Amino acid sequence: MKGTFFKEFFNRNGPLLGTYLLLAVAFWIIILIVLPQLSMLDYSFRFNLPPSAQGGEKDVYTMSNYQHFFNGSEGNPERLSIFGYQTDIPFNKVDIAVFFKTILAAIFVTAFDLALCYPLAYFLGQSASGPSGRVLLLLLIIPYWVNEILRAFAFRIIFGATGVINTVLVGVGILDTPIDFIRENVALYAGLGYAYLLLMIFPIYNAIESLDRNQIEAARDLGSPWWRIHWRIVIPFAKPGIVSGCTMVFMLTAGALAAPQILGGPSSLWFTQIIYQWFNTGGNWPRGAAYAVVLLFICIVFVLAMMRLFKVKMGEIGK
Amino acid sequence: MRQNPLIKVFLAIYLVIFFSYLLGPLVIMGITAFNSPSFPKAAPWECLTFEWFSVLANDHRIMTGIRNSFIVGIGTVILSVIIGLAGALVLTQIWPKLRATYYTIVIAPILIPGVVLGISTLVFWGRMNAFLGLSDESFLQNGIFLTIIGQTTFISSYCMLVFVARLQRFDQGLTEAALDLGATHVQAFRKVMLPFLYPAMGSAAVLAFLASFENYNTTTFTFGKYPTLTIELAQKVRYGINPSISALAVIIVTITILGALFYEMRKRREAMAIANGAPASAVSGGGFKLPKMLAGNPAAIILALVLIGGIGTVLFAQAYNPQACKVEVREEKRKATDKRIQELQEKAKQRSLQEKLKGPDIFNQPAQSPVPPAQAPSNPGSGTFGDVFNPGNLDEGDAKKTPDKGSSLNPGSGTFGGVFNPKNLNESSGKGTSQ
Amino acid sequence: MSTGVGVDLDDVWVKFGDFVAVREANVSIKGGEFFSFLGPSGCGKTTILRTVSGFQEPSQGEVRIGGTNMVGIGPNLRPTALIFQNLALFPLMPIWENITFSMEVRGASKGERRKRADELLELIALQGQGDKMVNELSGGQKQRVAIARALCAEPDVLLLDEPLSALDLKLRQHMRTELRAIQKQVGITFIYITHDQGEALTMSDNVAVMSAGVIDQIADGRTIYDDPASPFVASFVGENNVFSGKIKTITKDYAVVDTPAGDLRAKIGTAARGKLQKGNDAMAFVRPEALAIAAGRKGKDENRLTASIKTEEFEGQSYNIFLNQADGAEIKMSLVNQGQAYEHAPGSQMTLSCNADQAVVLPAGALASE
Repeated sequence: MKGTFFKEFFNRNGPLLGTYLLLAVAFWIIILIVLPQLSMLDYSFRFNLPPSAQGGEKDVYTMSNYQHFFNGSEGNPERLSIFGYQTDIPFNKVDIAVFFKTILAAIFVTAFDLALCYPLAYFLGQSASGPSGRVLLLLLIIPYWVNEILRAFAFRIIFGATGVINTVLVGVGILDTPIDFIRENVALYAGLGYAYLLLMIFPIYNAIESLDRNQIEAARDLGSPWWRIHWRIVIPFAKPGIVSGCTMVFMLTAGALAAPQILGGPSSLWFTQIIYQWFNTGGNWPRGAAYAVVLLFICIVFVLAMMRLFKVKMGEIGK
Repeated sequence: MRQNPLIKVFLAIYLVIFFSYLLGPLVIMGITAFNSPSFPKAAPWECLTFEWFSVLANDHRIMTGIRNSFIVGIGTVILSVIIGLAGALVLTQIWPKLRATYYTIVIAPILIPGVVLGISTLVFWGRMNAFLGLSDESFLQNGIFLTIIGQTTFISSYCMLVFVARLQRFDQGLTEAALDLGATHVQAFRKVMLPFLYPAMGSAAVLAFLASFENYNTTTFTFGKYPTLTIELAQKVRYGINPSISALAVIIVTITILGALFYEMRKRREAMAIANGAPASAVSGGGFKLPKMLAGNPAAIILALVLIGGIGTVLFAQAYNPQACKVEVREEKRKATDKRIQELQEKAKQRSLQEKLKGPDIFNQPAQSPVPPAQAPSNPGSGTFGDVFNPGNLDEGDAKKTPDKGSSLNPGSGTFGGVFNPKNLNESSGKGTSQ
Repeated sequence: MSTGVGVDLDDVWVKFGDFVAVREANVSIKGGEFFSFLGPSGCGKTTILRTVSGFQEPSQGEVRIGGTNMVGIGPNLRPTALIFQNLALFPLMPIWENITFSMEVRGASKGERRKRADELLELIALQGQGDKMVNELSGGQKQRVAIARALCAEPDVLLLDEPLSALDLKLRQHMRTELRAIQKQVGITFIYITHDQGEALTMSDNVAVMSAGVIDQIADGRTIYDDPASPFVASFVGENNVFSGKIKTITKDYAVVDTPAGDLRAKIGTAARGKLQKGNDAMAFVRPEALAIAAGRKGKDENRLTASIKTEEFEGQSYNIFLNQADGAEIKMSLVNQGQAYEHAPGSQMTLSCNADQAVVLPAGALASE
């Protein structure tokens, strides 16, 4: 079977093109995708050794990096308590709290983006056509050609202590003292929600655009109220787009690094920042790799759960 | 849509809110690029200035960053387009049973967090380097190489999606027709399929370049000694800001709008020509008649206006000198501060009287502190109203404000005391990230 | 070229997994012939065309073109040219490059190609339009360009896969005549695929009627219409009334069928000669135009049938009267409009007549579904 496949493949593409296709795809899948991930996985099970000791007899597999994520460093006084019952298990409260906070915040940002984008996607897909629709699409795209860092920076200008909002509010006399939006993480959530808005809008817009208007009109003609039209016709039709958008926004938000670094309050950390620190200031790469594996794992679980929950196939994501 | 006036009003409000959220930050950032305070502020407006553009042009780190970004971008574009095209073509031919698995693997890099890709690239090539016994300075450990490789991993997936979308509209019958007319498979690919894919190659290349140019999450692990523009920007934004970054944003946004308008104009022009029944070959040819081109083509009109406005601004900037305005503003500020100091001193006197009468608790209650003092020990009392009582703080602000405009890490101080001091903000967020 | 190159299918089977798309096809197409495959969609006719053009290898049997076995020879090496259902003109090339694509891949010079393009453009009456793009042409013009492109390859056999199906009725009828004229002019073998019996009957020298992967009959149009080989062919080509029942009596050429509308004496179809016996299940087919309202004395070869009137409709050149046999099976009768009105009360009984030579008896079998 395999033999005939390759024979047919080269027959179809000719030797030159066939070799190019196979080499390029093999390089991509093996060298760029699979091996680095496996390498990182392997690395996360090793001790943090100086380069000279790597590959030596001390270079053995260990669970210590993952243990650190769950149990904290040795001598960690925190103990896991389940429903108020105190156990003896050491518990890395800081990292795990950051982890869950990141996931929850990402879910919150995703829901916020979905609520904000769905009406516009529907409006663009069904009502706005011709030049005005084109202008709106153009307006949507332009902010995303601007660097992610600059977008975060813009939010810092707006929400900073001497930022526009505070200056105006204090100047008008509504506030006596400026509100520290950065510390309260308002700036962070606004910036994260902003950062991936487009990735929510476009999949939904693409799905809704292909919905035949007559279906909506037929439903209205049959006396359906607007919310039922959306619930029974538009949303089921746009489901792949919605799932795709939500998956992308969640993954990117949970994996964001720039926005939390620039907009995050001093007392709040994003999980990616912890990973970043293990690699930079922390100087413990295997541990950083282990934390990255944890992040990767939860992202895979999330995608699979979304696909299972909404019965969407992989092929429909990323369109 | 049922044209219910209430719905229309809601829709209008919603659109205004949405687009203010979307565009407001960029507009405000744009304004700060032309405002003279050396901490980016849109309000209060002080003086129109273009100095931040020259500050930007003289910032050699930014310029090196731009150069590195271009090198990385071009490398990534070439690799990603080549790989993405192959990936898409293989997807159309692969054994049907393997197709789903294959698709999952090649689409995964989009879903894998960027930091994970950066880390895995760093780790894998580091170990590869060690395995091959190369030195730390070797090619495989070069920041540009690692960044291109890391970015290509996922940007290839984007490119592949662009090609897949185009290929879905390709009629396989065309290849069969070519074969039937005697073409070999390679000829059919080169003469029929490839020309069909050229536009997709253009889009994929643009998309890949943009994605590469703005990538942070992956690059931040791989850049080594060659920070890209995004990395430099992130450093600047995190550790000290001045409006030259806004100036850069203004330039980028302007280029973007010009590009988008140009694209839109071309599209309109072709659509119009085809609607008029003229052969498309005549349209894309040299005949460049301006007035006719502008007629009924709003994008072209806007483009012309933007170009004229841009040239006008540049000419104006050459002649304009904001010095007089700055002196004036400085003078006004000094007066305002003097007045403020007097007022505060008055208040302080009254307050100390009141405190003597009522006890300390009552005053502290209304002045809500957004910063719990314990968390900001380096700057006790910063952010609270109480700060203005600190005479040292006032003096410092005053001293900085009057002499030099260049060294101003503390430009906003003096108006409201330390409360607005951006240094507080930088320090606190700096702490946040290095915890 | 006047003799042309013949095409033979010898016991050709095409299977996709368990599904048999073509079963035991034996066809012999003479050189220079206009040959059609006629059948409903999904009957396997396009698959047959693809085995001739080389896009599909037969699972069994052989395809010979001009006597040469085509096994293992790819579509680009066969002396055939295919006109696709959607035409498959190359959208990014101007007309003249489309037409001369086959010369381009053989490495002909640009001058040569331009010259040939001009000749062919004249043949299809599109002189001077070679620099236009495909999307600037009308449907009929695209059609002609597709023909010119195929002819430019100088094929021995031209294959046409429902090329007229996308055109509107008027243009379709015009193109029929044009295609036939072009075929006469170039003199090569045309193999034409269609589900439209009008196209098949008007253009072809011979027609193969297919159903569910099997070729039911190969004959010229008149034979197919007047002497169908199977109930499927009888009911698929043109309109036909079915009278089912058992055979009451049988002679060499005629049989009497006991139908719900009464005894029906009919000629035995050529394909069924010697295969029917008394008591067999049979079907007699009578065309709507062969039925008449019974009048006067019953003639020698005349049948008398009774049925109840359901509805009637006026169609301009004819009146159509719809009746039900005793078991409910429908009968359609077409009467030429001779200026007098026929008015019959629905539900009333009517006696019809038809000549035994205009009715055909075949063994009972599957009919074409609507």
